[in-house]
Amino acid sequence: MAGEVTIPIAYVSGTSWFHKLHPIPKLIWAIGALVLAFSTRNPLFLSCFFLFGFLLIILAGILNNYLKVLLILLPISLSFIVLQSLAPAFPRPWVTISELGPFTIYQEGIYSGISLFLRCLAAVNFASLMILTTHPSDLFTALHKIGMPHQANFMVSTSLQLIPIVQREFIIILSAQRSRGMKSTGFSAVIPSIVPVFAGTIERIQQLSLSLASRAFGSKGLKTNIREIQATFKDYASGVIGLGCTFVGAWYLIYYSDQLDWSEDALLPVWFSEVLVVGSAVIFIGTILYFWRKAKG
Amino acid sequence: MTNEIIRIENLTYQYAHTDKPALVDINLSIKQGEYLAIIGPCGAGKTSLALSLNGIVPHMTVGEMRGKVFVEGIDTTQSQVCDLAHIVGMVFDNPEYQLSQSTVLSEMAIGLENIGVPRDKMLIRIAEALEIVGLSGLEERSPLALSGGQQQRLAIAAALSMYPKVLVLDEPTSNLDPMGKEEVFSVAAQLNRENQMTVVIVEHEVEVIADYADRVIVLDQGQIVNSGNVNEIFSDIDSLERVGIRPPQVTAIASGLEKKGYHFKNLPVTLDGADATFSDWLSRSRP
Amino acid sequence: MSNIIECINLSHVYPEGFTAIKGINLKVKEGEIVAILGQNGSGKTTLVKHFNGLLKPTNGTVSINGIDTAKQTVFNLSSYAGYVFQNPNHQLFATSVLAELEFGPKNQGLSNDEIEARVKDTADFFQLHSIINEHPLRLSFPLRKIVAIASIYAMQPSIFILDEPTTGQDHRGAEKIKKFLRKLQDDEKTVILVTHDMPLVAEIADRVIAMWSSEIIKIANPREFFFDLKTMEKTKLQQPQATALSNRLQKRVLNEGITLTVQETIKALEKVVNQQIN
Repeated sequence: MAGEVTIPIAYVSGTSWFHKLHPIPKLIWAIGALVLAFSTRNPLFLSCFFLFGFLLIILAGILNNYLKVLLILLPISLSFIVLQSLAPAFPRPWVTISELGPFTIYQEGIYSGISLFLRCLAAVNFASLMILTTHPSDLFTALHKIGMPHQANFMVSTSLQLIPIVQREFIIILSAQRSRGMKSTGFSAVIPSIVPVFAGTIERIQQLSLSLASRAFGSKGLKTNIREIQATFKDYASGVIGLGCTFVGAWYLIYYSDQLDWSEDALLPVWFSEVLVVGSAVIFIGTILYFWRKAKG
Repeated sequence: MTNEIIRIENLTYQYAHTDKPALVDINLSIKQGEYLAIIGPCGAGKTSLALSLNGIVPHMTVGEMRGKVFVEGIDTTQSQVCDLAHIVGMVFDNPEYQLSQSTVLSEMAIGLENIGVPRDKMLIRIAEALEIVGLSGLEERSPLALSGGQQQRLAIAAALSMYPKVLVLDEPTSNLDPMGKEEVFSVAAQLNRENQMTVVIVEHEVEVIADYADRVIVLDQGQIVNSGNVNEIFSDIDSLERVGIRPPQVTAIASGLEKKGYHFKNLPVTLDGADATFSDWLSRSRP
Repeated sequence: MSNIIECINLSHVYPEGFTAIKGINLKVKEGEIVAILGQNGSGKTTLVKHFNGLLKPTNGTVSINGIDTAKQTVFNLSSYAGYVFQNPNHQLFATSVLAELEFGPKNQGLSNDEIEARVKDTADFFQLHSIINEHPLRLSFPLRKIVAIASIYAMQPSIFILDEPTTGQDHRGAEKIKKFLRKLQDDEKTVILVTHDMPLVAEIADRVIAMWSSEIIKIANPREFFFDLKTMEKTKLQQPQATALSNRLQKRVLNEGITLTVQETIKALEKVVNQQIN
């Protein structure tokens, strides 16, 4: 159908060690990975971390689904390289490597861009590992057990369900408005496309809340769960290891951040940096155009 | 009152920012085990009336309420909607808007989780309810992958798992195809007949109501303008026309013939009834 | 009278591999009201989406007004075929009925004078003058449906594709829709009606196309269609009650053939009685 661009990041059933692992340690690992990734800019560490995550993904048997996510994420993350190279988020002074027309490529920019790119991918690896191997209901059951309020849990899991629904509604509304001669692009398409989505979503949520209230949502007292999550020794151990690695790792990376700062050293030959920036820009813009055309149908 | 399960006394309700009340001085007694149909034009207040049966009106709406609604003796203004959920089950007109979970099983479990039913009992109740509506075996299916009729039956099953005494259905078939409509009407009738469930249904399909309902109330501009059994209500063609409801086609046919000078003892309201009435009439007319 | 819609061996397979319709051969004459019947999932919506280019054939051809739709954009075809979606909330977005009616003509690039004329014409046809400045989302559902149909009318297509126009309506609302459909017919517009409303079909359709499991299984006029009990059973559709009654009586006492509407049944029964008396 014209306009089918779905978000592929969702639970994939399986029987790997990761699938069987308790959701909480997985959550700890995912958050820990995020902390570690953003504790440093060092490209070597980030690359190794990325590969480590990649290895775990292969072991979990979710490579195909992960690659689908990567297919969308990779080109967009390449934008970091482009943007950072031209305007680094790094303390001045900046060293100029090269000039391409009106654009100047900076040494720190390349460094910053590459590290941001790798940070993003490394964090995504572990986030994907968690999301693709954990059934949302299990995650929320586990969170509920450690004290998260039942209602809050439920709201989040329901919102996740709404995402594909709202996507679908948006596609229908686009078709409906195109049938009235609306051109699918341009500023004039925004309001006719978005207002019905909002109105429809609000109506849907209102109706849902009535339906849920009629099924005792909001009642006080004990709540039970249909899903069973048992925590075993290996789950506790994994959680502790995850926490430990995060704290130790973060401490190390921050304590030695000066030694790990390689921004002074010219990492790459000039021509390579130029190719990298131009190539990233081309891939990034190309990807945007591809999805734009695909959504137009 | 013998087995009265819901009593409405002088209920008047006006939504905020409106210039007319949606419900005006409603007095109604619903008996346990009856199949009550509520009919009326758009805007007559049918939905508001249905939603007052489990406290959604007034607790989840903004407006002013006068009068009382008693559900099994409990005053709805003095209790919460969630506390009445085990007495009155509610099914709404849009099947999909009632669903929020990724599997049929987890959808069924929501209500039971909310009232703290132990897990093993949950599974039993869910299996029972799915069996009654004919959805056994679909526990792992995504509710969004079900047909409209199946989704609505799931909504009914989810309400049933709470073991209610009353099932209220607000235009449950308006968004369904013919097969789906048939499924829902069939389940509702079965629940009423075999499980003694009190069924309150808001509907436009007069022909179906004529087949199933014990009692019909006609709502117009917030007031009950007529109440009675299906024969009384549907044969009063003039009254229906005033309100903007069409009678079953067979009744309209008989009424049309009456206007041409023919006479029937009673206007038929169902297909079977019409078959009998007209066959009889035609054979009597033979010289 | 020409064929305003023509489908030759039309099939549509969705990207996921699902065959929604196959082997569709269909000709619609200008000025006809054609009802497309079938359970949800039988392919009705997929079929009609080809008539304004929202979907393109994966096999076979669709021509609208002699134009092959395969290379046409929805924008181009929207001037020939207007599609009113089932849920008016999918189309209404503006702050006034007036703005909704203007939307289509504006998109068509008409001048301000032309737009004004179209809006007046549409408001006259659908009697919308009293609510022209109302916010569409504050209107009752039946009125919203009418505004949605009106907003397509303002584009003056020659083909109207209406997806379940009477669903969710009360009797008065449905009668209004029927009245407008008759007016469209008087104006020689072609109407494609996707509907479950059998009494409406019996009363107003020139032809019925019944779909089952992605194929057309019958094309006939309503009388033939409702008489074909085998097809009715296969598609799990039901005759209008008046038809069902005449069907039953036919077996025993009535020899006038089946009737489609209340009025026809009254006339038929009266005729039989008079014949018997004389």
